[in-house]
Amino acid sequence: MATETDTTTFDAGKLANRLPDDALLHGGIVFAILLMASPLLLAIIMSTQSTTEVYQVTNLGLGSKGLSNYSDALVNYDFSTYMLNSFVMSVIVVVGKVTLSLFAALALVYYRFPYERAVFMFILLTLLLPVPVRIVPLFQLMADLGWTNSLLALTGPYIASATAVFLFRQQFMGIPASLVEVARLDGVGPLTFLFRVLIPMSRGMVAGVCVITFIYTWNQFLWPLVVVTDKSSQVVQVGIRYLQGSAQAGLTQWGLIMAGAVLALLPPLVVLVVLHRPLLRTLTIQQK
Amino acid sequence: MSTATKPYDSTLQAALLLLPTAAVLVAFLYYPSLETFRLSLYETLFLGQRQTWTGLGNFVTLLTSGVYQYSFFITVAFAAVVVFGTLGVSLLIGYMIFSVDVRSSVYLVAAIWPYALPPAVAAILLNFILHPNLGIFTHYLELLTPLTLDWFNDGPQAFAILAVVAIWKQLGYNIIFIVAALNNIPEILTENARIDGVGRFRMLYKVYVPMIAPTMTFLVVMNTIYAFFSTFPLVDLMTSGGPSDATNFLIFKLYRDAFQFNSLGLASAQSVILFVVVSILMYIQLRFASGYGRYGG
Repeated sequence: MATETDTTTFDAGKLANRLPDDALLHGGIVFAILLMASPLLLAIIMSTQSTTEVYQVTNLGLGSKGLSNYSDALVNYDFSTYMLNSFVMSVIVVVGKVTLSLFAALALVYYRFPYERAVFMFILLTLLLPVPVRIVPLFQLMADLGWTNSLLALTGPYIASATAVFLFRQQFMGIPASLVEVARLDGVGPLTFLFRVLIPMSRGMVAGVCVITFIYTWNQFLWPLVVVTDKSSQVVQVGIRYLQGSAQAGLTQWGLIMAGAVLALLPPLVVLVVLHRPLLRTLTIQQK
Repeated sequence: MSTATKPYDSTLQAALLLLPTAAVLVAFLYYPSLETFRLSLYETLFLGQRQTWTGLGNFVTLLTSGVYQYSFFITVAFAAVVVFGTLGVSLLIGYMIFSVDVRSSVYLVAAIWPYALPPAVAAILLNFILHPNLGIFTHYLELLTPLTLDWFNDGPQAFAILAVVAIWKQLGYNIIFIVAALNNIPEILTENARIDGVGRFRMLYKVYVPMIAPTMTFLVVMNTIYAFFSTFPLVDLMTSGGPSDATNFLIFKLYRDAFQFNSLGLASAQSVILFVVVSILMYIQLRFASGYGRYGG
């Protein structure tokens, strides 16, 4: 364990006090982490059990079903379709939101145009309008456009965002003026400037926004529930709701439901673990 | 920013770059929001088939309705429990991670993963673990304590269970900001207190919490918005608002009035009230916390 040497605590008494204290801290953290993870760990165990095994409440061993609850969920309960729909929805929103927001931030930071401040405020004010504030007319709009049950309805309302524009604007404003000056003197066009200079210099921020957006989109529940009624177009979060409903007949197939829940959690969890660095940097920059 | 750093001045190009974002915001954010305000002034009859002008009638109906008042009251109570419960637990965990002299981010990632946890998954997992008959947690709780879990029939228990799930899911987000804020405090500022031999947990609330007050304010606002809006899947999948309206929070009532009972006017009036709530929270955020933000929005 890499214990940092603190220059002020060289006297022996203090060091002795500090060691058991540190062990206590490690113990506390491990306990907290295990407690937080315990529902998930239990769910993973239960997802391998048969219904009879699940009904023996204290049976905490791996079950006899192996991975067959997972294949059952994927094949017989349409989770492969739901997962694919969630994935397509999330990727479209990530790509669309990042592209649109990069363009908007390019204009806000590197162009002189009238009413700059007003345009920026116009974008920022949409923070006051989360989905529940506009859900009834938004649903009616989708119905009028004939978009219900489609990817257009799932992705359209999420594809522009004040948060992403704000983040890219902050990022661009931090890029050294000298670099911008060189670009100006060389007569570099705006799109070349964006793709050759700005994006390469903002890789961490772009990755961070992608991670935030992917997790946020994948986890959406209310809007898909409202705007998609056709099961073949549904996303996996609402798919869990269907699964809970249909596994309820007779003895509830909790093993199957847990397998579905684990599947629905896996993609955002993997993204978080793999890309936690840009995510953390982006989130904490935003708050300052 | 000086003009030298703005190399381009074609208004047309700027407009073209801003157009996609502006178009989406107008079509899917501003227009439906204005429609919400308009609809809130109409009464919907015959399952959404006809609308008649009612002025502020929907608001009068809501504010004088016992069911709505109760829903408002329990939502505020729920938000208070979730906000301070989340902050308390996150501070404790975040502070431990900050205090331990380990450079690796293993602890941090293991503590922040609920940020990625879909609320619907959180609901389903705890539906099972805390199930009154089958839950493993229920089993040991009833074995080791005189308590019995009966949250399918007991209102206050259902409220408490939803709060536990909501807090669990929100821990990751809070720990991220608390650890970052603690790491940003210049060491020189905390050194004096440390030499004076102040205990670790006294340090936390005497020295560190005041120093990260802007972050705490920010988290209070974000957690409140979360408790008001993002807990819909928990209610929908765990309690359906029950038993006897004990968890019929504003967002769930809005959903049911709009999409199960087709009272579009009444539901829109509820959206307007939620808009007022968000506006107040965002004002607090801009006024008292540093920066702004609603992550992922």
